[in-house]
Amino acid sequence: MLTLLRDLRRLRRSVALPAPRRPASLALRHVDAGSCNGCEHELTMTAGPYVDLARFGLGVVASPRHADVLLVTGTVTTRMHEPLLRAYAAMPEPRRVVALGDCALGCNVLGLAGELVGPVEDILTVDLTIPGCPPSPETIAAALLTLLDR
Amino acid sequence: MTAAAYLDAVGSALADGWSVAGLHAAEEGRVVRVALAAPDGRLRLESAATESGAVPSLVELAPRLEWDEREAADLYGVAFIGHEPHRSLVDHAPELARWTVPVLGHDSHQLAVGPVHAGVIESGHFRFHLVGEKILYLDARLFYKHRGLERAAEGATLEDGIAFAARACMACNVTNATAYAQACEEALGLEPSADLARVRTILLELERVWSHLNDVSAICAGTGFAAGTQLFGALSERARRLNERIAGHRYLLGAVHVGRSDVRLEDADVEHVRAELDAIGARAARAWRELTFNGSFQDRLSDIGIVTARQAATLGTVGPAARAAGLHEDARTASPRLAYRDFAPAVGVRPAGDVQARLEQRPLELEQSLAIVAGLLEAPVPRAVAWSGGEPRAIGVARVESPRGATLCVVEHEHGRLTRLRLRTGSYANWPSVAFAAAGNMLPDFPLVNKSFELCYACADR
Repeated sequence: MLTLLRDLRRLRRSVALPAPRRPASLALRHVDAGSCNGCEHELTMTAGPYVDLARFGLGVVASPRHADVLLVTGTVTTRMHEPLLRAYAAMPEPRRVVALGDCALGCNVLGLAGELVGPVEDILTVDLTIPGCPPSPETIAAALLTLLDR
Repeated sequence: MTAAAYLDAVGSALADGWSVAGLHAAEEGRVVRVALAAPDGRLRLESAATESGAVPSLVELAPRLEWDEREAADLYGVAFIGHEPHRSLVDHAPELARWTVPVLGHDSHQLAVGPVHAGVIESGHFRFHLVGEKILYLDARLFYKHRGLERAAEGATLEDGIAFAARACMACNVTNATAYAQACEEALGLEPSADLARVRTILLELERVWSHLNDVSAICAGTGFAAGTQLFGALSERARRLNERIAGHRYLLGAVHVGRSDVRLEDADVEHVRAELDAIGARAARAWRELTFNGSFQDRLSDIGIVTARQAATLGTVGPAARAAGLHEDARTASPRLAYRDFAPAVGVRPAGDVQARLEQRPLELEQSLAIVAGLLEAPVPRAVAWSGGEPRAIGVARVESPRGATLCVVEHEHGRLTRLRLRTGSYANWPSVAFAAAGNMLPDFPLVNKSFELCYACADR
C-alpha cells in the first residue's frame, strides 16, 4: 500500500499539474445516450492522476438530482430518448447540458435512421459542445473548466 | 438444407469436437446460419432455410446460442421451434412478463437498476430478483444503445464496411476491425502477407494491454480501493498515449483496413515502443505485488461471482473469464492469419472462476501480451498488404480474440457490397455469464462481479 501511494505521489509530482486559480465546483452527471464506449473511457480518465478534474472541484455525482451539468455521450438512440429526458427533468436549476464527442454533435454518425433520434441538440438545449472521436481527457477537462466562468 | 439435416449436421459436428461459435439470420430471415469452430480453429457455416418462418432451435444442443436465437427472432422474425417461450432481447417489450423469467416464492421481489447508472458507465438495465439482499436471478436487458449498425452497413462496399465493425465499440475496435477485415479477405480470396499478420497481431495485443490495465483499475474501483484504481488507470493512460504515437489515435481507431495496413514504425519508433512497454510492464508488476499483499482488498475477491469450468463450457464463456475458470479457450491458439506462433493460453494457478481468478488473469495475460509485442517488434514495421491466395466466396467468416474473448465476424456480400454483417463480440458471448455469475451473491457484490468481466455494452448492442 505504501509503495502504491509513493508511486502515485511521484507520478503526481512528475505530471506537475498547476494549482486551481480559485475555489469553485461543478457536479457532473453522465448519461450515455448511445455511444461506442470511447467517450466513457476518456471521461473516466479525467479523474485520473494525469488530469485530476477534482482539483478544480469537478466530479461525477451518482444522481442527476445532485448535478449541475448533464454530460451526454453518443447519438441519442430511440431507446435512450426517454431515460435522457428523465435524467434532465430530475436536475435542479440552474443546469447545463454538454454534448460530449462527435456522435453527440451529430458528426459522422453511423446507424439506422429508425434506431436513432438524433444529436443531443435536437432534444435538449446544448450549452457546450466538446468535439472529438473521442475527445482526449485533456480536451474534455479544458472544455468543462470553461463552464466555471459561465 | 432441411430442418432435420441441419440438426444432424450440428449434432454430428459437436460430437466430432467442434464447438458452436454463433448463429445469425440472413436473407431477411429466410435463412439461419450457425458458425462452427473446429478444435484447430477452422470455421464453417451450416445454413438452414426457414419453413413458414421457422427453424428448429439449437439451444438444447448449444445453450450458448440463447441470445443469438432471441436476437434473430426479434430482428428477423425467425421462430425457433423448441425455444419457448420466446423472451424478447433486442426488442424492448414494455410488459415485464415478455422479457423476464418469472421468479416466485415467499418474499421474492425485484429491483430495477439502470439504464442510467451511478458512475461513468454505459447504459443498460438490470432487473434483479431478490430475497432481501440475496440475488436469486438476474435479467440483463441491454440493447439500449442498439444503433442498427449491422443493418446500416448493408449496401456498403467491403472496404467501407469496416467502419461499422470498428465503431461498434471503441474499446474493442482493433479486434472488431481485424475480424471484419479477415472475413472480407476470406470472401475476396486474399491471404495476409507475413508483415500484415505481424502488424495486426501487434495492434491486437496493444489493445489488450491498455484494456487489461484498465480492467484491473476498474476492479479496484469496484472494491473502493482508490490507490489501485488510480495507479492502474495511469498505466492504462500511458498505454493509450503510446497508441497515439503508433497510429495517431489513442484507441488505434482507423489502423486496420481490408487487404492492407498503413502503419509504419521505423527503427527509432520500434525502440521507443519497446522501451515504453517495458516500463509499463515493470510498473504494473510492482503495483500488482502491492495488490496481492493488500488483505482488505483481497478479502473482497474470492468465492463470489463463480462460473465453474463446466458452467463456462455450457454458457459459451470466452476470454479471460473462461480461462479464469480453467478452460484453455483462446482464439489465438488457432489464428493462422495472425502471427501467434506456438501460442498457449495463460491459465493461472487458481482457476476458480470467481472474481479473484478473473482479476488474476489480467496481469498474467498482460505479461504474455507484452512478451508477444516485444518479440514482434525486433524489426521495423513496414506497410503491408494481403495477397490473392484462394477462391473468392460469397461469405467470409473469421474469429479473433478480443481483450474480452473470441469475436466472430461473418460477412456476406454480392459483387463486393455487403448484404449481411454479423458481429458477435466477446462481450456479447459473455453477458449471459455475468447474469449467471450474479445469482446466489449479495446485491452489493454485483458491481464487483460485473467489473470482473468488464464487458462493453456498445459491442453487444451494436
